[in-house]
Amino acid sequence: MSIDILVQVLLSGLLLGGIYALVAFGLSLVYGVANILNIAHGTLLAISGVVASLIFAATGWNPILIIPLLVLPVFLFGYLFHAALLRPLASRGKHDETIGTVLITVGALIMMSDITGVVAGTNQQNIPVRSEILEFGDVIVPLTQVWILAGIIGLTVILHLYLKYAWFGRAVRAVTQDPLGATICGINGPRAKALTFAGGSGLVAVAGVLYAMIYPVDPYMGFSLTVRAFTIIIIGGIGNLAGAMIAGIMLGVAESLTAFFWAPKWAPAISVVLLLVILVLFPRGLALWKRA
Amino acid sequence: MEKSVSSSRPVALAGIAAFAVVLGALPLVAGPYPISFVFLLLITFIIAQSWDWVNGQMGYLNLGHYAFYGIGAYAFCLLLIRGVPLAPSFAAAIFVAALAASILSFPLFRLKGDYFAFGTLTIVPLCELLASNLTEITKGTEGVTLPPHYVLIPAYYMAAVLVLLTLATTWWLMRSRFGYAMRAIRNDEQVAEVSGIRLFPVKVLTLCLSAMFAGLAGAIQAWQFSFIDPYTMFNLSVALIPIAAALLGGSGLLLGPLIGVILLSSLQQVLLVKLHMLQGAVYGLVIVLIGRFLPGGLLRWKVIANNPHLAWLARESHFEVGASPAADDHAALPLRAPDLDKSKIDKNKIVLRCEAATMAFGGNVAVREVSIDVRQGEIVGLVGPNGSGKTTLFNLISGIYQPKGGRILVDGQDISGLRADEIARLGIGRTYQIPRPFNELTVRECIAIGRSYGRGAAPLREAMQSAEAFARFVGLGAQIEMRADRLSLQQKKALELARALAGEPKLLLVDEVASGLSTNEIRTFVQHIREIRDRYGITVIWVEHIFSALAQVVDRLVVLDSGSVIADAPLQEAVKDERVLATYLGHSNKDITHEEKRA
Repeated sequence: MSIDILVQVLLSGLLLGGIYALVAFGLSLVYGVANILNIAHGTLLAISGVVASLIFAATGWNPILIIPLLVLPVFLFGYLFHAALLRPLASRGKHDETIGTVLITVGALIMMSDITGVVAGTNQQNIPVRSEILEFGDVIVPLTQVWILAGIIGLTVILHLYLKYAWFGRAVRAVTQDPLGATICGINGPRAKALTFAGGSGLVAVAGVLYAMIYPVDPYMGFSLTVRAFTIIIIGGIGNLAGAMIAGIMLGVAESLTAFFWAPKWAPAISVVLLLVILVLFPRGLALWKRA
Repeated sequence: MEKSVSSSRPVALAGIAAFAVVLGALPLVAGPYPISFVFLLLITFIIAQSWDWVNGQMGYLNLGHYAFYGIGAYAFCLLLIRGVPLAPSFAAAIFVAALAASILSFPLFRLKGDYFAFGTLTIVPLCELLASNLTEITKGTEGVTLPPHYVLIPAYYMAAVLVLLTLATTWWLMRSRFGYAMRAIRNDEQVAEVSGIRLFPVKVLTLCLSAMFAGLAGAIQAWQFSFIDPYTMFNLSVALIPIAAALLGGSGLLLGPLIGVILLSSLQQVLLVKLHMLQGAVYGLVIVLIGRFLPGGLLRWKVIANNPHLAWLARESHFEVGASPAADDHAALPLRAPDLDKSKIDKNKIVLRCEAATMAFGGNVAVREVSIDVRQGEIVGLVGPNGSGKTTLFNLISGIYQPKGGRILVDGQDISGLRADEIARLGIGRTYQIPRPFNELTVRECIAIGRSYGRGAAPLREAMQSAEAFARFVGLGAQIEMRADRLSLQQKKALELARALAGEPKLLLVDEVASGLSTNEIRTFVQHIREIRDRYGITVIWVEHIFSALAQVVDRLVVLDSGSVIADAPLQEAVKDERVLATYLGHSNKDITHEEKRA
C-alpha cells in the first residue's frame, strides 16, 4: 500500500473532521451559553443538506449562493424556536429544565425528519458539483474539497475573532462563564442565549450545504451527527472553538483511517466509544484546551 | 389531605384489581387487532415505568434505557433459534439485560446531571452498531427471524402479568426504605451520603432492576413479533417515546407513566387511522408540547392536584405513617444508641482527633496541618474569618473530601479512606451552612431518612413515626407533613439539625446556623445545642460568626486563620489572645500599646 493512498485517506479525514467541527461549534456555543442539550442539532444539518440539494437540483446555482439563502431562514427559525419553546423552560428547576429540553428537541427532531421526508422524499441526496481536479503526484484532490476546507478554516477564524473581540462575542463568553454575573454587568442574558441558539443553527446550515457537497444526506441521518458533535465538545471543552476544531479533525481522521484499514461499518463506533471512554476517564469533560 | 392519605390504599388496590380483571378478560371478548394494540401498550408501559424508576425516583435521566429492551430481545431470539427452550431464553433476556446494566453502571454513574444524559445517549447507537456489525453472533442487519408461530395470546398474558408486577414494584418503591434512598439521591446526593446512604449499590440495583424489566419486555415483544433487526430494536426516535409518555403522565408518580402511556399510545393509534401522512410530525408536535407546557406531567397539573377526588394521583409517595403516639415538645428524643446518655460521658475520652490534617485545592491550601482534640461531651466553637477553612475542615471530618495529608481519628479509628456514609454510621452528623433539605420530601420524610440510614438504623416505619419527636424538638411539630422547600430559612435550618440528630451522632458538626436569624431565634438555637449535650451527651463542634451566640454555650474555642489553628483554648482565654483579637475578633480600641506588643 502506497503512501499516496494514506495521504488521500488523511485528507478526506481532515475534510470530514472540519465539517464535524463546524457542527460542533454550534452545539458547543448553544450548550455553553444557553445550557441546552439540543438533540435535534444534527438533524438540522441533515435538513439543510437536503434542502440545499433540492435547490441545487432545481436551479443549478453555485452552492456558495445557496448558503446565504439557507442561513438566514435557519437563523430566524433558530431564534423563534428558542424564544417560543426553550426560553420559557429557564424558570424551572435544573432537572425539569433538562427534561423539558430533551422532550422539545426530540419532538422537533421527529417533526423535522418526518416533514422533510414527506416533502422531499426519504432518498439520499447530494449536491453533485463538477469540479476540476488537482493532482499532486498520485494524490488526487477535487478542487471543491480544497475550497470547502478553506471555507471551514476561514469561518473558524472569523468566529474565533468575533468571539474574542466583538462586543457580542465577549458577551457570549461572559454568559458562558457566569450567567448571573453577566446579567449584572448589563448583558441581556436571554437575548444573548437566543442569538447564540440562532447563530449555532445558522452555522449548522452552512455545514449542511458543505456536507451535501461531499457526502449524501437524508432526513433521518441527523442523530449520529449529534452524537459526534457531543463527542467533539466533550473532548475539546465546552464553549472552546480551538478545542472543538482539533477534536473534530481528530475524530474525522480516526473515522477515515478506521473505515480504510478496518471496515467502513465500524467507523461510526469511534465517536460513540470515544465519548464513553472520555466521560469515564474525565467525568466533567476533557478541557484539554482550557479557556484563557 | 388526611382523608386522602387514609383512603388512598383501598382506592389504589381496587383500581389495580379492576385493571387486572379488564386485562385478563380482554382476550375473551376482543379480536386480534385490539389485543395486539393493548399488547403493544403494555410493552410500552413496562419500558416507560422501568425507566421512570431511574428518572422519577432516583433523578438520573437515562436516555439509553431502550437499549435494554433491545438487548433482552436479542438475547432471547438468539438463544431460541439455537434450540434453547422458551423459559431459559426468557430468563437469559432478564439476565443479559441486568448484566449489561451492571457493567454500564461503572462508567455511567461517575457522571452527574447533563453529563449522565450525554453518556447514556451513546448506548442506543452503540448497541445498534454492535447488533449490525457482529454478524456472526447477531446475523447483522438482516435481523433474526423466529420460526413461524402464533403466540399473541400467551404473549399478551405474559405482558399483562409483567405489567402488574411492574405496578407492584413501583408501589413497593414508593413506600420502602430502598425507595426513600432513591428519592434522597434524587434530591441531594451529597446529603444522602452524609445521612448514611451508600450511594453506589442503590444506583446499580436501580439500573439493573429497570434493565431487567425492559429486557423481559423486549423478549416478550420479540417472541410475539417473531422478527427483530438492529434498526427496529435500537431506533432512537422510537427509543425516546416511552420516556415522553412517562413524562406526559407525571414522572415519579405511582400512576403517571401508566396514564401517560395510555394517552400517548391511543393518540398514536388515532393518528395511524386518521392520517395518511405526517403521523410522525403530529406525534413529534405532541412531544414538543408536553415538554413545553407540562413540566411535572399531567397528574401534577393543578386541576388534578387540587381536586379532592383526584389529588391522590398527584401524591409523591404512598407511605402511610399510621397512628403515632401523641408526643409533647419536651419529651425525650427516642435515641437508641446506648452511648447517647448524659451519665456515660467520659470527659477524658477523645471523640475526634485531627493530626496535622491538610487539604489543598490545586495550590490553594485550605486546611494546613490542623491538629485538634475534641473530648466527649464538649461543645467546641470553631471560628475564623471567611475562607479560613472551617467548612473545609467539616468536609474533611464528614468524608466529603479525603485529606491530602495527616490523619483524622474518630474514637481512635482512622477514618481516611472511609466513604461519607460509613463516617455517618460511625456517628458523625453534620448540618450545612446553606440548608440542604431533601426539597421534594416532607419534613417527616427528611428526618426519617436520617434516622433510617444513620447510626440509629431504624426500620422505615419506626423512623417515620419517631421523626415527629425530632421535629417537635426543633420546633417543627406543626410543619411535619409540609414539603421541605416550603419552609422558611429558619425552619430549614431547624430541619437540618433534626435530620442530623435523627442519625444519632455522637459528634455533631453544626455549620453556621445563627447568621440570618433573629435574636430570639438565636436564643432558641443556643438552647437546642445546650440541650443536645446536657441531655444526650452528644459532643458538638459549632462553626459560627455570631460570636454572642457561641459565647453563651461553648466550652472551648478553636480559631482558624488561613487554614491554620492560631488558638485552641477555653473560651475565657481565647478571647484575650492577641492573635485572635488581631485576625478575627478585632479590638474595641486599637491603641499604641497593642502595636508595640506586636513589634
